Amino acid sequence: MTLLLDRPTRPATPPLRRDRRRWAWGLGAAAVLVWSLAGAGLFGADVLNPGGTAQFGRFAAAALDPAIDAAFLGLLARSALVTVAYAAAGTALALALGAVGALLVSRTTWGRRRAGWLAARGLLAVPRGLHEAVWGLLLVTLLGLDPWVGVLAIGLPYGAVTAKVVADLVDEVPRGAYRALRAAGAGRTAAALYGLLPPAAGGLLSHAFYRLECAVRSAVVLGMVGAGGLGYQLALSFASLRWEEVWSAVYALALLCLLAEVAGRAVRRRLAAPPPSARRDPVLTAAVVGTVVLVGWSCWYLALAPAALVSERTVAQLGSVLAAAWPPATDGDLLRTIGALAVDTVQMSVIALAVALPGAVLLAGPAARPAGDSSPGRRVAGTLVRAGLLLLRAVPPPVWALVLLFVLLPGVLPGALALGVYTLGVLGRLAAEATEELDPRPRTALTALGARPAGAWLYGVLPLAAGPVLVHALHRWEVAIRDTVLVGLLGAGGLGALLASELATFDWAAVTTVLAAVVVLTWVVDLVSDRARAALR
Amino acid sequence: MSSRRVARSGGPDALLPPLSRRALLAGAGAALAAAVTGCGRSAASSPAALHVGAVPDQDPDVLQRLHGTVADAVSGALDLEVEYTPVTDYAAAVSLFRTGDLDLVWFGGLTGVQARLQTPGAEPVAQRDIDRAFTSVFVVNTGTGLAPSDDLTALAPLRFTYGSETSTSGRLMPAWFLREAGVDPQGFPGGPGFSGSHDATLALVASGSYQAGVLNSQVWRSRTEEGAVDPAVVRYAESPPYADYHWLLGPQAAARTGVPDLRDRLADFFTGLPPGDPVLELFGASAFVPARASDHDRIEEIGRDLGLVS
Repeated sequence: MTLLLDRPTRPATPPLRRDRRRWAWGLGAAAVLVWSLAGAGLFGADVLNPGGTAQFGRFAAAALDPAIDAAFLGLLARSALVTVAYAAAGTALALALGAVGALLVSRTTWGRRRAGWLAARGLLAVPRGLHEAVWGLLLVTLLGLDPWVGVLAIGLPYGAVTAKVVADLVDEVPRGAYRALRAAGAGRTAAALYGLLPPAAGGLLSHAFYRLECAVRSAVVLGMVGAGGLGYQLALSFASLRWEEVWSAVYALALLCLLAEVAGRAVRRRLAAPPPSARRDPVLTAAVVGTVVLVGWSCWYLALAPAALVSERTVAQLGSVLAAAWPPATDGDLLRTIGALAVDTVQMSVIALAVALPGAVLLAGPAARPAGDSSPGRRVAGTLVRAGLLLLRAVPPPVWALVLLFVLLPGVLPGALALGVYTLGVLGRLAAEATEELDPRPRTALTALGARPAGAWLYGVLPLAAGPVLVHALHRWEVAIRDTVLVGLLGAGGLGALLASELATFDWAAVTTVLAAVVVLTWVVDLVSDRARAALR
Repeated sequence: MSSRRVARSGGPDALLPPLSRRALLAGAGAALAAAVTGCGRSAASSPAALHVGAVPDQDPDVLQRLHGTVADAVSGALDLEVEYTPVTDYAAAVSLFRTGDLDLVWFGGLTGVQARLQTPGAEPVAQRDIDRAFTSVFVVNTGTGLAPSDDLTALAPLRFTYGSETSTSGRLMPAWFLREAGVDPQGFPGGPGFSGSHDATLALVASGSYQAGVLNSQVWRSRTEEGAVDPAVVRYAESPPYADYHWLLGPQAAARTGVPDLRDRLADFFTGLPPGDPVLELFGASAFVPARASDHDRIEEIGRDLGLVS
């Protein structure tokens, strides 16, 4: 979900020809989708359970009637502080790790040594392949109650993603300044610092804010596995199905996401259209200073002590867990189960995308902020759609999975749809942003020629938006594979469910095997989606 | 125009001295360094405090309330600082007990066995009178048309959900009694579900997505008394009794708190609570009784048998 920044630059005038590779990918995708739907039993027996509408209705009705007693709201406010602190400290760690990691995986570092570059990229796939919640559960066993658990669980996987994005950004910077500095006798480090970093700074800053927003949602998921904060309150209320309280927590989370989004948006705008004067932009300076203060406060608030990371106890725990985890379990039964569940996992992620992608494409238009003046009706509709998308991604996937299970029979489908609606929330927003950034002229021209809005959208917007939105969707595919761990517990749950049960029974050898399988699966999906993205370019 | 002249003429931007890139970077770096080094303040308030926790099995809202009361009561009786630490994950509670972050934990039967096996020297302290003979209730959706009975084989062809994976009353013992009755505990159509909590089991069976399920009898009774059970859910059977929840004390607690006979004093405190004490009421019990490790030998055996204890 690293988008915005590593989107390929499209040629100004795409060649008008049918690309065979795209046809092959399209047909392949359709075949995989049909296979997944068949695997989910959509063409076989009943999947709907109309008897559960009352239970689902209770969940939905509570959305209009959230718990608003002062005591609970106070609790949520204090919890929100914890969530913010984890998100900010985790993001800061991710950026620091990302900066170091980028050095390791940038083509600039490796030059022509392709094998070294590939190995470094492969190394990054390991932290990236595990979900934050899995990192959290693993780190709890090493560090106990230390606040580093939450910070590292966000920082490590996000750091790997950031490293990849930063490396790509730096690699894409035009080489002129760098070469000139080298030719003038500057060292490689100085030349990179002064020749490559400044042009990439804008992209880096906007990625940092995007990470912060994602980190808020991750911090909530971590809270659900025990790191405290909003997620913890949400998990407590969720376990006893107090929907009114669940919704209050969801609204609080949506508010935090909105704040991060608004701040990130302001910074991105400022970067895209800097004020004419050559002076330092006060808004950007304030953003940077504010971020530094926020991170400092987070470290203080969480009482992060670097010493805890290398304490005797941590080292002893690490030793005992590693001893139990190696060698990995390789019995035939486990491997067969893993194989079957890997198939489930892929099918779930494909169905999730198949739900999210068309939804995102349809909603992107209304959700995008129109460039010029627009009618009040249009603005209200846009706000409503954006708020809806925000709520879709603010309700954590495990909650979606349970409430969808009320109205669907157990199997792959409820989990897949839960991921689907959650992904729709994220993808819808990304698609709306992609639409906002499109060239508005084709649509304006069609409208001026008398085309109706639907026609202008179909011929003037859809063809242009399809590429970027598909690229985002392919990025989300890898994320969806990892997210299956969140919805896996009910019924058929894929590798995530297996991982959760091996962790619950402390079978470390099996945990190692399942983790390896998850990492390999993520890596394969990443590879396939990378090829597909290349075909779209 | 120099920035000074702009400032003098009231230019809005220049009231702050212009920040050079180097100053900005240095300032940011210094602030971060100060924050990180300033982070040394200790996370746990007092090293000598007794850290109490609980597996998130019963109504978590009540657990919170309950352990605030317990922490105060223990603190008053033993003249110790007591802190309650919330935990939402079964495996996390076991891990935190092993790492020594939690000293005294209210564990379920299975999680207690897991914790004891991973933490040499851990000792059970006390259990409720009802925990010696705890039971689970099998519930079915009225749509199945099943009348209450002791015959568990009738459940085999139904879609069936357990509670949390390592819950004793919501998973381990029901699975054992099902197997005793000749039903494969993993063999329900589509595989059994794991709802995650006793309340979620009730809601899922009420919806009919799962036709049958099993939950802690204490939660079933309290929900029935509250009238919170959907009429679509009916009790089908109750399991034979088994030993469940208990307080488990970590091996390092006595030395750390500086109370050598901590286990005995805790046991005396719990077993000596007078009838009607608020602590007993919150636990839904009339008395605490001493607990021994051997009470849970059967749970350990069954856990190994079902692959839940390794």
